[in-house]
Amino acid sequence: MAGFTAVGSASQLVDGDLVGFDVNGIKIAVANVRGTMYAFDDACTHQQCPLAKGELEDTTVTCPCHGSQFDVTTGAVLRGPARDPVDSYPVRVEDDTIEIEV
Amino acid sequence: MPNPFVIVGASLAGATAAVTLREEGFGGGVILIGDEDHPPYQRPPLSKRYLRGEQPFEDALVKPVDFYASNDIDSRLGTRATHLDPIEKTVELSNGDRIRFDKALIATGTRNRRFPIPGLDLDGVYDLRTVDDCDRIRDEVVPGRRAAIVGMGFIGAEVAASLRQLGLEVVVIEGGKGPLDRVLGKEVGQVVEHIHRDHGVEMIFEELVSGFQGTGRVERIVTQSGRNIDCDFAVVGVGVEPVTDIVVGSDIEVDNGIVVDEYCRTNVDGVFAAGDVANHYHPIFKQKMRVEHWHNALNQGAAAARNMMGTASIYDEVHWFWSDQYDYNLQYAGFHREWDELVVRGSLEERDFIAFYVKNGLVAAAVGMNRGRDVRRAMRVIKARTAVDAKLLGNDDLDLRRLVLN
Repeated sequence: MAGFTAVGSASQLVDGDLVGFDVNGIKIAVANVRGTMYAFDDACTHQQCPLAKGELEDTTVTCPCHGSQFDVTTGAVLRGPARDPVDSYPVRVEDDTIEIEV
Repeated sequence: MPNPFVIVGASLAGATAAVTLREEGFGGGVILIGDEDHPPYQRPPLSKRYLRGEQPFEDALVKPVDFYASNDIDSRLGTRATHLDPIEKTVELSNGDRIRFDKALIATGTRNRRFPIPGLDLDGVYDLRTVDDCDRIRDEVVPGRRAAIVGMGFIGAEVAASLRQLGLEVVVIEGGKGPLDRVLGKEVGQVVEHIHRDHGVEMIFEELVSGFQGTGRVERIVTQSGRNIDCDFAVVGVGVEPVTDIVVGSDIEVDNGIVVDEYCRTNVDGVFAAGDVANHYHPIFKQKMRVEHWHNALNQGAAAARNMMGTASIYDEVHWFWSDQYDYNLQYAGFHREWDELVVRGSLEERDFIAFYVKNGLVAAAVGMNRGRDVRRAMRVIKARTAVDAKLLGNDDLDLRRLVLN
């Protein structure tokens, strides 16, 4: 199912914010790093805790449960206990609307 | 050929050091010595998901089994190092081998305390450190059986939770006034106590065990006040002590573990220590501390490896750990032994809070329940070492990050 899905207003997600969305049943987190949006699975690959409830510092998101860290720009694991990267999704902003391709 | 780097202890700190040496390009020999037969693994699952059978052992491995050989790390498992001579630069092994080293890392960790209690050697009395210990406890798990847990620190509390989740009856005997009372204080300890009570754990406080009794195997625990507590098996978790045997008789300074500076260096050139065994100087807190956390073993092991390679790498992480019990995720950050004031943000009653241990006007540590984001933010407050108004700390509407920026 290609194509972008609108998930919310970009102006509600300011620099440094991290928010979770449900996109057609898939939980996706969106991070705003200095104006650029990054979208990735809202589930840590360690024990599936919601990363959108974690802490965003620059381009690093820290899982709220066990401290695993991921690079939001790539999904790569920066620090365990997680071993596997999170999936990333294309994201764009059209007229203040955040759109994600899943 | 120069002599190799020798790492004594193949648990998380030691194995991570070996991995880091290779990842950062060290081309010399690396020998990793561990007394367990298993490849290096992480211990947190042993009181939680592995104990409950929710996770295979392979998921706990530090690296896949073949990682060490394929990265030219000579791992000597099932081998105990018996003595380290920092002048001769040798390590003696239980099999009689004597290894010469260029540099050595001591990552021998801790061992469980064992008090001389009558009956401690009865069948059915366990403690928990290794995966083999955990497997023995797992073999006892049958729903409806009654487990006695002696000691309600983090290990006792996690094992109690896991065994309840597996459908066992659980009774806890703890010498203190409540679970984690000594480390986290009465207020937070009570929250933990109520959680366990809600989950049907029977808890007996301010009682010391005087003996384990039974015919052939444990059937009951007798306390010093004369109570008899029936059980089908028992798990003892009454604290740990650092394993420093290998430096006995050497010049390496020992004081509550192996004493090291912020570069993981002992007082003897070329010998380092990391992980649970290392009583390390912490430049943020300006004092020595020895902690038994997963996160410290991981990061201090890596820092020690860099320092062995000559890359001056100050180890100044704010210490942090988690403890999962039932659906509650407890996290602690910082370091405290005592505190002047406990400032609570959120609600203890609703089990949704972060509490700050304030000493001399500074936040020394914080503990959060289901508040991972706040704990992460609190780490910045702790690291900043600036005085913070208790009213602001306790104000749940105020973003903790603002306390640091100002």
